[in-house]
Amino acid sequence: MKRTENIEEYIRRGKPTVTTGESMDKRIVDDSFAVMDERLAVAKRSSAGAILSRKTMRLAAAAAVTIIVAALLLTLGRHTPNHPARPPQLAARSPATMVSMMSLRIAYQRGGWEALDSQFRTTLGQLGPGPSSLSMRQLLEGSNGS
Amino acid sequence: MIDDKILVWRFNRGSKDALCRIYEKYKDDLLGLAVTLLQDRSIAEDVVHDVFVSFASATGTFRLSGSLRGYLSTCVANCARDRNRLRAGRNVGLDSAEAKNSDCTGPLESAAGREESGRMDDLLARLPYEQREVIVLHLHHEMRFRRIAETLGVSINTAQSRYRYGLDKLRSIVNGMVTE
Repeated sequence: MKRTENIEEYIRRGKPTVTTGESMDKRIVDDSFAVMDERLAVAKRSSAGAILSRKTMRLAAAAAVTIIVAALLLTLGRHTPNHPARPPQLAARSPATMVSMMSLRIAYQRGGWEALDSQFRTTLGQLGPGPSSLSMRQLLEGSNGS
Repeated sequence: MIDDKILVWRFNRGSKDALCRIYEKYKDDLLGLAVTLLQDRSIAEDVVHDVFVSFASATGTFRLSGSLRGYLSTCVANCARDRNRLRAGRNVGLDSAEAKNSDCTGPLESAAGREESGRMDDLLARLPYEQREVIVLHLHHEMRFRRIAETLGVSINTAQSRYRYGLDKLRSIVNGMVTE
């Protein structure tokens, strides 16, 4: 009998070596492969589903973007081309400054010929009809009070 | 270890060859563990079968945290414990364990090894299952007590005390055999 002092070593050395049989190997390998195939098929199906769902998501996102862009274009298109032009603003308040070169130039820059014409009309309206003998200086002096 | 990681990596990518290699590498070791624990070759084969089929079903999602040998040994130990519970109350004959060979190569050494191995099985069979389990996992499969405790779902102190009680019992059995 072995020494009992070192029972651990004794047990360690007594480890049995068991060999598997051919039929056991075949059974285990075949069953494992079958399970593995099944599992891989399921994984493929689920990954295909995931891709499909991603494609659906992509399509949905693309559709949403298209709708938003179309809505924006329609909204902008409704306002931009048919929007009535603002009435040209007068570049000055008093008739004297209205007919100054700077005021006329500003009016032209802001609204073109229409604004210039409007500014002239306003000036004439404020000044009103006067005798033709009056000079421009006299007219302006009377209007501005200077 | 690296070899195992490569095998697991390939196995997760659906390589049957990797699964075959893993099986070939550990089949005898795991069957030995199951036979030692259960003392019944046919049930032990079923245990190894169940473990590998379950392992195969984890392809693609299997994550190896420790050693593959340790993982598979734990699976076998767990499965063997379940089987042992199922057959609880039924006496297991010591003759049912069969086809054990020694590591020795020569015929005389082989015969001596078989005798020693069979004697060891007889000795271990006299222990309660819980003690036998801890001793076999620690001494034959070099599993640490912490890992054994995790596997069994007990504290490390419980695992160590089971080990000590088991060794004491074996020592007394062997002493009794010596004095006879």
